[in-house]
Amino acid sequence: MSRIDGPQKVSGRAKYSYDIVRPGMIYGRILRSPHAHARLKSIDASAAEKAPGVKALLITIKPGEKVMFPGEEIGALAAATEQQAADALRMIKVEWEVLPALASVEQAMRPEAPQVFTPANTRRGAAQEDGDLAAGFKAAAFTVEGTYSTQVQTHTSLETHGCVCEWNGDTLTAWVSTQAVHGTREGFAQGLKIPQANVRVITEFMGGGFGSKFGPDMQGLLCARLAKAANAPVKLMLDRKEEHLATGNRPSAFAKVKAGVAADGKLTAFDATTWGTGGAGAGSDYPLPYIYVFPNRKRMHTDVYINSGQQRAMRAPGHPQGCFVTEVLMDELADQVRMDPMEFRLKNLPPLAPNAMWAKYFPMGAERINWRSRHVTGDPTPGPIKRGLGCSANRWGGAGTGARAHCEIGSDGSVVMRCGTQDIGTGNRTIMAMVVAETLGLEVAEVTIELGDSNQPFAPGSGGSTTAAAVMPAMRVTSGKARDALFERIAPQLGVAASQLQIGVGNILVSPSTLDSSASGQTAARSGQASRSITWREACKMLGTVPVSVDGQWERGLSAGGTSGVQFAEVEVDIETGITKVKKIVCVQDCGLVVDLKTAETQCYGGIISGLNYAVFEERILDRNTANMVNPNMEWYHMAGQSDIPEIDVVLVDQPERGVIGIGEPPAVATAAAVANAIRNATGVTLRSIPITPDKLLTELERAGGTN
Amino acid sequence: MKLCNTRRLRTAKFVTAGVGPLKPKQAYSSPMGRRDDDSQGRGKHRRLRPQDASRRDFFKTIGVGSLATAVVTGVQDVEAQGPPPVGPGEIPITLTINGRRHQLSVEPRVTLLDAMRTRLEITGQKRVCDRGACGACTVIIESRTYYSCSMLAIEAQGKNIRTVDGLANGNALHPVQQAFCDNDGLMCGFCTPGFVMATVALLEKNPNPTPDQAKKALDGNLCRCGTNIGVLKAALSAKGVSRG
Repeated sequence: MSRIDGPQKVSGRAKYSYDIVRPGMIYGRILRSPHAHARLKSIDASAAEKAPGVKALLITIKPGEKVMFPGEEIGALAAATEQQAADALRMIKVEWEVLPALASVEQAMRPEAPQVFTPANTRRGAAQEDGDLAAGFKAAAFTVEGTYSTQVQTHTSLETHGCVCEWNGDTLTAWVSTQAVHGTREGFAQGLKIPQANVRVITEFMGGGFGSKFGPDMQGLLCARLAKAANAPVKLMLDRKEEHLATGNRPSAFAKVKAGVAADGKLTAFDATTWGTGGAGAGSDYPLPYIYVFPNRKRMHTDVYINSGQQRAMRAPGHPQGCFVTEVLMDELADQVRMDPMEFRLKNLPPLAPNAMWAKYFPMGAERINWRSRHVTGDPTPGPIKRGLGCSANRWGGAGTGARAHCEIGSDGSVVMRCGTQDIGTGNRTIMAMVVAETLGLEVAEVTIELGDSNQPFAPGSGGSTTAAAVMPAMRVTSGKARDALFERIAPQLGVAASQLQIGVGNILVSPSTLDSSASGQTAARSGQASRSITWREACKMLGTVPVSVDGQWERGLSAGGTSGVQFAEVEVDIETGITKVKKIVCVQDCGLVVDLKTAETQCYGGIISGLNYAVFEERILDRNTANMVNPNMEWYHMAGQSDIPEIDVVLVDQPERGVIGIGEPPAVATAAAVANAIRNATGVTLRSIPITPDKLLTELERAGGTN
Repeated sequence: MKLCNTRRLRTAKFVTAGVGPLKPKQAYSSPMGRRDDDSQGRGKHRRLRPQDASRRDFFKTIGVGSLATAVVTGVQDVEAQGPPPVGPGEIPITLTINGRRHQLSVEPRVTLLDAMRTRLEITGQKRVCDRGACGACTVIIESRTYYSCSMLAIEAQGKNIRTVDGLANGNALHPVQQAFCDNDGLMCGFCTPGFVMATVALLEKNPNPTPDQAKKALDGNLCRCGTNIGVLKAALSAKGVSRG
């Protein structure tokens, strides 16, 4: 099914929050800390207040207060034009006492590090233990020890965070780039101390969030306050640098691991000390070990705080980190016992289950990547181009509940379904229309979906791949109720019982009653005439002036949670330049009932490309002295361009009996690990750190003395 | 955290991407904002070359728009040769966008993108990186692609500017727009207007590109959702685009 909002998006008619223009609208900008850690000495905004075009100005920091990361909000102003707002911002004189800052986990963990965070720069979690670790290592024939790491990545949504805020007396309308219109309404109400009833949040289209857009955030609240103060609508959209600094990221992950394997290839023990940073005061935990069964294990995680923007949920939070560490380790262990890495995985997977299908999917993927052609670690082919294959597995939840909806059927046959969910680019709007259309026997184009407005019935935020599983049952149930209500209304006019009516294709079938002839059953039943039909329009015409109008909500049994998938990667590495070219990715993935194949496949393509970026391109780089980000843009913060995209082969396994499960995050998890293992297979050197950039690879190749 | 990233940054992506080692692209383009991938179909040798734009051309470009005072201070000879300086306040300009003439007042520093979006409510092209890296602002000017975020509005006067807003004929989509819909070449849709315009420019020059030619032509655009598979399918399947 082609997206129903495609024509609007390809023609520029889709209006995003960034595109909203209101009468008399002015522009807001945020004043931010240039320092990673500093105490405010003084701030003088008098010149800015009087600057041309300035209509409102707020300072949110007082002398003596501290900032904890570069980009922390300390004030905002609004002016008639963006240029005037930027000029005025520069006129604000701020004096700081710059304090010692922590720019990396290494710095923060040193015993002599200045104590920047209270009560400490690190926070050690409780040990996670199972089995008998000592016995496990005793049973091991081989062990592998190593330190693995993953980088910090930022969400880099193309539409930056921000909104347009407009007051009408005490009520606020906000067009917000958000993944949760209802959650954002709540956030505005709390932050501004006004009733939720006075807030309306609208997000008809939004340009990507990936987990970073669930509330108004500081910029939303500042925008609303500026709009109130200026008595004019204010647009406040962040710029790209602000977006990198202050709107979330995926925490880094480090893992010092020792793992054991028995001579028969069975995993015996896993002992890990892990750490990572989610920035200034935020956590960094992630699942480890991932998927495979280590009967005896221990893991201790420590959150490390540094002076950078805080982490937020990012496309399958935690899983790509845990997947990378475990899957690279798995290849190293397989080499120890001289087993094929896939066979080795099959030996150590949890038992098959509807949400744990890896043992079935690995051979399927192997067939499609031609795993038989795989050589042992280190491509023996002479010359600088080395080819390699790798594999990995992923899991995710994706269950959702709680969505509500309202359906109207008008006397002209029109169907409107309203649900306060949002389409963040997943195709939600499209599959909603498909479910409603199917339930009512209509074409998708005959159904109007209205979403992205907090005035619509409640639906949860779009995170955790839960939207489809939350919203599709609500669509099914609510449109089913509307159908039943329609039948009840028109049956008497047709002279039949409602139970004699059923949905056909663009029409309503009236079947002869086989039951009794009481009440309204009347003639059709007695005469035993053959079934007839009336068109949808004719049927709806009988409604007269009062439309069908029903509420419905999510019900158990139509959706589920728990997905599994595997991925395979084929790469070519030039060992003279260190450049990796990913040639092909194979993805075998399930998501319960596949509602729409086309958009579900696109979700897989998207997840894989994000995993590719994580594997070889993107990384937030902080200056080690100032903790300022040195690549807060889109040219040095690398992402794959069109020429970097490999062939991608997606196999979606349909599990209709399980109901609807989300698919947004699962395919993003396994790609980096599969690519890393393919690079290892190609070059013979083990990179335990992503992104696998040419400098890291060349360094490691040099240490290993080449591949042949 | 390693500090010595310069080499990595210069080699990691762009060589693999086949774009050449120099970026940001527009820094060497001439005139400002021109995308280096705009050589679609002319073969791989046409790459970003600093010598394409001589210093002289560069200053001339600036001078034509009389930006000398605002941007290049102290270049007296250039100022003397060009028209009298304008600004820094708002000045009246005329832009021809999608066949329609628009009169507006902007400060000389306002980019074409911002003039369209904030003064004319022509919001099809998006502001994403605002420095010529992502391509979401891509417009076609006289059959070439430009990053409208990296071109000043005053520079765009007297030229025929095309945006995604003007492609469709009423409700009938342009073949490229239709191909993006058919091949699911969009997700959140925020990069889509840029990709569509880059594809239109490609196909107007070269209606039957090879996959490599299409990839090269679209390398100046970035998508975060990862729609690139559908985008490439769209670029290779769109038919009926007349030569521009």
